[in-house]
Amino acid sequence: MMSNLNLWLIPSLPLAGAAINGFFGKKSSRRAVTTVGLVFPGAAFAWALVVALRFSSLDLPYQEYVAHWIRSGNFSADFALYLDQLSLVMLLVVTGVGFLIHIYSVGYMWEDPSYFRFFAYLNLFMFFMLTLILANNYLLMFIGWEGVGLASYLLIGFWFTKDSAASAGKKAFIVNRIGDFGFLIGLFLLIQHFGSLNFTQVFAQVQPMTAETGSAGLLTAIGILLMVGACGKSAQIPLYVWLPDAMEGPTPVSALIHAATMVTAGVYMVSRSHMIFDRAPMALMVVAVIGTLTALFAATIGIAQTDIKKVLAYSTVSQLGYMFMACGVGAFSAGIFHLMTHAFFKGLLFLAAGSVIHAVGGEQDMRKMGGLRSYIPWTFLTMGIATLAIAGIPPFAGFWSKDEILWQAYSSEHGSWVFWLIGVITAFLTSFYMFRLLFMTFFGDYRGSQVDAHGQAHATHGHEHGHGEPHESPMVMLVPLMILAVLSTVGGLVGIGNRFENFLAPVFGSGQVAEAAGEAASHVTELLLMGVSVTVAILGFLLAYVLYISKPYLPQKIADALNGFYTAVLNKYYVDEIYAKLFVKPLVDGSTSILWQGIDRKVIDDTVNNAADAARHVSDEVRHMQSGNLRSYAGWIAAGSAVVIAYMIWMGVR
Amino acid sequence: MSTDSWSPYILTFVTFAPLVGALLLVFFPRRDRDVRIFALVFSLLTFLLSLHLPVHFHRPQAGFQYEIDRQWISTPNIHYHMAMDGISLWLVVLTTFLTPLCVLISWKSVHDRVKEFFILLLVMETALIGVFTSLDLFLFYFFWEATLIPMALLIGVFGHERKVYAAVKFFMYTMIASVFMLAAILWLYAHTGSFDFVVIRDQIARGAVPNFPAAAQWLFLGFFLAFAVKVPLFPFHTWLPDAHVEAPTAGSVLLAGVLLKMGTYGMLRFNLGLFPEQARQNAPWIMTLALIGIIYGALVAMVQPNMKKLIAYSSVSHLGFVVLGIFSFTQAGLNGAMFVMLAHGVSTGALFMLAGILHERRHTYEISEFGGLAAIMPVYAASFLFIVLASVGLPLLNGFIGEFLVLSGAFQAKAVYGIFAATGVIWSAGYLLWMYQRVFYGKVTKPVNNSLHDLFGFEKAAVWPCAIAALVMGVAPILWLGAIDPAVQTALTPFAQVVGKVVGQ
Amino acid sequence: MMTPTPTPAALLQTIPQGVDYIRILPELILSLFGIVIMVLDPLVDEKKTQKLLGLIGLGGTVAGLLATWYMAQFPGLAFSNMVKVDTFSVFFHVLIIGIAAVVILTSFEYMAVQRIRAGEYYALILFGVVGMALMSSAVELVLIFIALEISSISTYILAGFRRNEASSSESSLKYFLLGSFATAFFLYGVALMFGATGSTNIDVISQKLLTLPVPLLVYVSMALMFVGLGFKVAAAPFHVWTPDVYEGAPAPIVGFMSTAPKAAAFAVLLRVVFTINAPGRFALLWVAAALSMSLGNVGALVQTNVKRLLAYSSIAHAGYLLVAFAMTNSEDSVAGISAAMFYTAAYAAMNVGAFAVVSHFANAGERYVTLEDYEGLGRTSPLLAAMLTLFLLSLIGIPMTGGFFAKFYVFSAAVKAHLIWLTLIGVVNSAIGAYYYLRIIVVMYMREARKEVPVTPIPFGLGVALAVSMVATLYLGILPNRILQYAQQSAEQLLPQPPASGSVNAAQTQPAAAIARY
Repeated sequence: MMSNLNLWLIPSLPLAGAAINGFFGKKSSRRAVTTVGLVFPGAAFAWALVVALRFSSLDLPYQEYVAHWIRSGNFSADFALYLDQLSLVMLLVVTGVGFLIHIYSVGYMWEDPSYFRFFAYLNLFMFFMLTLILANNYLLMFIGWEGVGLASYLLIGFWFTKDSAASAGKKAFIVNRIGDFGFLIGLFLLIQHFGSLNFTQVFAQVQPMTAETGSAGLLTAIGILLMVGACGKSAQIPLYVWLPDAMEGPTPVSALIHAATMVTAGVYMVSRSHMIFDRAPMALMVVAVIGTLTALFAATIGIAQTDIKKVLAYSTVSQLGYMFMACGVGAFSAGIFHLMTHAFFKGLLFLAAGSVIHAVGGEQDMRKMGGLRSYIPWTFLTMGIATLAIAGIPPFAGFWSKDEILWQAYSSEHGSWVFWLIGVITAFLTSFYMFRLLFMTFFGDYRGSQVDAHGQAHATHGHEHGHGEPHESPMVMLVPLMILAVLSTVGGLVGIGNRFENFLAPVFGSGQVAEAAGEAASHVTELLLMGVSVTVAILGFLLAYVLYISKPYLPQKIADALNGFYTAVLNKYYVDEIYAKLFVKPLVDGSTSILWQGIDRKVIDDTVNNAADAARHVSDEVRHMQSGNLRSYAGWIAAGSAVVIAYMIWMGVR
Repeated sequence: MSTDSWSPYILTFVTFAPLVGALLLVFFPRRDRDVRIFALVFSLLTFLLSLHLPVHFHRPQAGFQYEIDRQWISTPNIHYHMAMDGISLWLVVLTTFLTPLCVLISWKSVHDRVKEFFILLLVMETALIGVFTSLDLFLFYFFWEATLIPMALLIGVFGHERKVYAAVKFFMYTMIASVFMLAAILWLYAHTGSFDFVVIRDQIARGAVPNFPAAAQWLFLGFFLAFAVKVPLFPFHTWLPDAHVEAPTAGSVLLAGVLLKMGTYGMLRFNLGLFPEQARQNAPWIMTLALIGIIYGALVAMVQPNMKKLIAYSSVSHLGFVVLGIFSFTQAGLNGAMFVMLAHGVSTGALFMLAGILHERRHTYEISEFGGLAAIMPVYAASFLFIVLASVGLPLLNGFIGEFLVLSGAFQAKAVYGIFAATGVIWSAGYLLWMYQRVFYGKVTKPVNNSLHDLFGFEKAAVWPCAIAALVMGVAPILWLGAIDPAVQTALTPFAQVVGKVVGQ
Repeated sequence: MMTPTPTPAALLQTIPQGVDYIRILPELILSLFGIVIMVLDPLVDEKKTQKLLGLIGLGGTVAGLLATWYMAQFPGLAFSNMVKVDTFSVFFHVLIIGIAAVVILTSFEYMAVQRIRAGEYYALILFGVVGMALMSSAVELVLIFIALEISSISTYILAGFRRNEASSSESSLKYFLLGSFATAFFLYGVALMFGATGSTNIDVISQKLLTLPVPLLVYVSMALMFVGLGFKVAAAPFHVWTPDVYEGAPAPIVGFMSTAPKAAAFAVLLRVVFTINAPGRFALLWVAAALSMSLGNVGALVQTNVKRLLAYSSIAHAGYLLVAFAMTNSEDSVAGISAAMFYTAAYAAMNVGAFAVVSHFANAGERYVTLEDYEGLGRTSPLLAAMLTLFLLSLIGIPMTGGFFAKFYVFSAAVKAHLIWLTLIGVVNSAIGAYYYLRIIVVMYMREARKEVPVTPIPFGLGVALAVSMVATLYLGILPNRILQYAQQSAEQLLPQPPASGSVNAAQTQPAAAIARY
């Protein structure tokens, strides 16, 4: 039965909230702003739950037509929504985590002068993100895709008086645009060959097509192009550079957009297009390789960072790499599974980090922290849980999803031991830098100075502190932490016995394939590998313990020992600098000196002006012909007549 | 009076209403305020009157509507032949929509020779509408030339420092280019005995024009050159930045908003309409030029230190999209081209208004003179950002629809065109956001900027309609495409085989 | 001079009939008024002369126009086929006398300001008009020559009328010497033509040449006549005198010289070129047209003296006009001739108007005639500036003005006749030409006055003159139909009829019909 879910409400509600706060927030009180800012996304979450409850009674995929959008010739794209298991999972994650972070923000941003603007943007983001998830065609998805980009642009640059923040926002938008460029080309290919961007119509035509095993074909091309888009949005090599900078934004933003939801859009999009990827092994390979490399690469950078948010940022990049690795080996459900758990613990990590920063008055440098666990126990507790989760210690959420991915990477038909190995190394690094973070922040003694903390407070955001003494955050911030902590603990259990995978099976189907492969490789190996990944996690913990608790002098030694590598890592392998040298500078200089000053001024304009001058010059000549001398005039006339007469005579005698 | 009995005359009313206004203004007392109000009222009335057109337009019907065809001069056989189809419909409305806003935006900025200014503005409007509505080639050329004078005067009399140079450059560029069109028109008349677009088109289609094949290429080029300079297509674009920088705000708005579209409209109506064969043969190099224009314009825009120049070069880039779409001969491409024309008219028009508003306050367009304005003029900053986003082609705003359709059309015509053109989405984001950051973000560097006043009422009244239009066009493009699509379809009938390939769900 | 083989009918005509005098009525009346002025001049005292004589002169032109209207009722030949009244000649009568009227209106103020004793000034204008009018209606080469001389001599004198100005006298002298030099060519051409065909009657000649093979002499004579007329219309390469003469001569007279005598000369040129069949003459015109357009426009680009600038512009316009002459086959010719006629009218309207403004601005001693004198005029005297702008736009050839249709007809005729290249040269030239006209508009509106230029109120006479020119310019620009049709009608009559209904017979029957009326 085709019951009407009024799905359209889910994106529309936050939009309404954004509009109200955007237009009237400036004049209305903080309390009013808060109410609006929370009620609308809250309602969206509630409605999502209602949908979830009625889910079993739906015949899937459920589609809902809202309105015409574009009609050009036979091509059309409409405002129409699409709901299946995949989008339901995303829906719940986004609205749920999103709502929690909204609540948290109330406490975190309370003192900010443009509080209303923050909530307007946040709601706007929710609108676009939900549009992205619920779209029934690529073009509508692209609206959300670009829209979340906009929201992230606005929120990264929220404290726009800081140049670094403004630049970071711009960078994010432009780098994303580079990805979108690929995405768009992909869409054009789809239109050209399938005449539509509608999921059902496209996939219906893709289904019968045979896998392009031998040579790269249409589907491979489309797949890779879509992946380019995903690289931009989900911060994969080579387009990851914007995400670390994005930490300029307020911490709740980092949690919501740059950890839990938006950055996973790429994973969602790739999984949504699995029908295409399944038939394009090469595209899958590309995805897997990019994912794996990114996972490792980002993790290595993560170990050397001292800014607490930067560490989390690189960790996010790395974790996203895991998700793509999963997709790349055809284990989409595993990817989505990790996406979900990651949303829990990474969101939690960021919020906790925010709580830390809040506690020490805006300080983000871990070298200026330490020993905070006594000041902010709740934060410490929750963050500890999150760390265990991400490090992959059983039974916390991260363990299940990451282990699933590693297992699939090893066992699935598209997988290989290389992916697995790199995945494991990454797991080790992850556990190391996460515990490093934990130890540097909460253990040892407090290294922050109060004055400095105070100064920082002004610099970063409107926080006012009577005293620099680290202090626990208000309840409104802690409650979301706790909830997320619970989720990070138990969230992984849904994965036991492939329950999660089976739930998504109707969408991906391929899940079973991978599973079958799993059966083939004996359970022994599975357990063995599981053991390995747990071990490396523990090793990472131990190493961190040694380096930052028992022998705190060692890190410096090591750093000196492998100096070159260390500095390289510390400077993020100079990627930003390289990009600047390779692309940005040449473009700007070239455009200035060659195109503008060169072609425009020197070539085109000068040609025109020279022509004009030439005309004037000739004109001068003509003027001087006009000597004013009577005899010369007579001469002219005589000469002219001579020519005329001669000509006519010639005409006559001819 | 019933609309049916109107319909033959409505076009005449709409076209000449502003001229009537101008004539009345001539005999109007030199009380600046009253002059302004009068101009505003008159342009608004024209706008309302012009709304009759889309309202009573039979969208599914592709052919010309509101047709009026009377003989004006018997020898040569010149007719007063006006009509409109889905292509010209929205361009006319765009013109009538922008003019009142131009009046508003000039409310304070023009204080010298106010009367003359508004007279010129209204004359300009009539000429522009005439270009889009006339189907008699002579009439068309007549209006085409008629736009020159008021614009040149607007630039030259009410412009800034190098106004004279800019005005003369503008005038000579377009004048020299359009005489070739005149020559082509004369040839057509000499060989068909008619100036009527429809008649000539059909005669050519029937192959009834003596020694046409020999001349066709030259005729095509004659028309094309005139249009290419107006658009302006690379490398004929260098008059545009100068003209814009020196022009008064209203001038820039009409120049970028409507005047440039005369060129692309001409290509669509005449180069494609009369010479489909030549259009196809010449498409490759034209599309290449358009492509160069898109990227070149964007890159040069990126490095401009002057806000208005930046916007001007961005127009070069955007109009490149239009030309690309037109010569892709695809449904999507042409629909997109039409839509970009309209979208660009609205959003770039608004951008120029916003730039002008800043110039009003600081008497400079130098980007380096500003910075951190978002804190001082929040409403202004928000409006500016909105328009910027519209013009970088953010989905749900007007810029996106057109660019997307054009790109997909170009891609279907020849993938490589689509791919190169699509880099435009990166560039546009680059130069506009960079400019926005330098002007609005960061700390306030110049103390003078601390005292800048946020938008005044009349400025809001001028800018916000554009913002609203940008949003509506982005959310409900169907309203526009509904009329454009059929017209484009007929325009493409000579290219049928291409269209067939393009879309087929 | 009479036709060599007198038939009885021809003999009958040799005795002038009453109707013959009607067919030169305008000339007679104008001369009469001229003489009256001469006679009155010494009688009335200094103060009054200006207005009074001027008004008489004006009255003369008005009377002349009425006479023309009356004359138009009696088309046909007169004075043994020496004068031919047809729509063609009527057209030029009206045009030339009209120009004179406007110029006289302009002169009232000018003469007063320049402190030139009017006296014979107005008379000379009228006499000149007599000559020009006669040129347009004469079909007899010798009579044409005489008419040409009448018109020339009076214009020679008029050119030098700013007696106390050296430049004026110089201009007059140059004009006189070169002019007579050129007319000599014409006269010699006439002689040769007589030698070749035994007749000086254009109709007879054209008939003859239709039948018998064209002798070499005809070619030469055509060349010589072309030189003479080319000088009068200031076509390259016989244009050299124009800038100096125009610069020196009194502004209103320049307006007069650059239109009326030209119109007359063009009328003659049309008769000669299109009726006397000397192959190759069209090539001459082609070259002359191209040269005049290019030299005129290019020359004008850097001029700073407005009168000189307009002199070059008049060369250019002669060029555009000559394009219309380059039509070879007959049905193109109709288009060409009518286009040419229309052009003369349009050019007259806008150029006389322009010079009217110039002569007003010039002020005492023509002190203010350079571009910088025109700076800021848009502010100081908006009305005149607007007027001048209109005339300049018309000269550029902007739609809605006579200048546009003039060019338009000429070029479309050229295209019809497959003169694509000449057309292209023409249109490109007209685009380049736009530049220097624009310069005047630019200085008037886009620059602020740097020096003090006295602003004087517009006197009534000038106002009327401007109004007339403006109305004419706009009328020709918006409703060119009537004039053009009239021109086409004339063109058809002008062309040599096939021998069957030869114009000689017509020439004989028509007067008979006319006599019958009496």
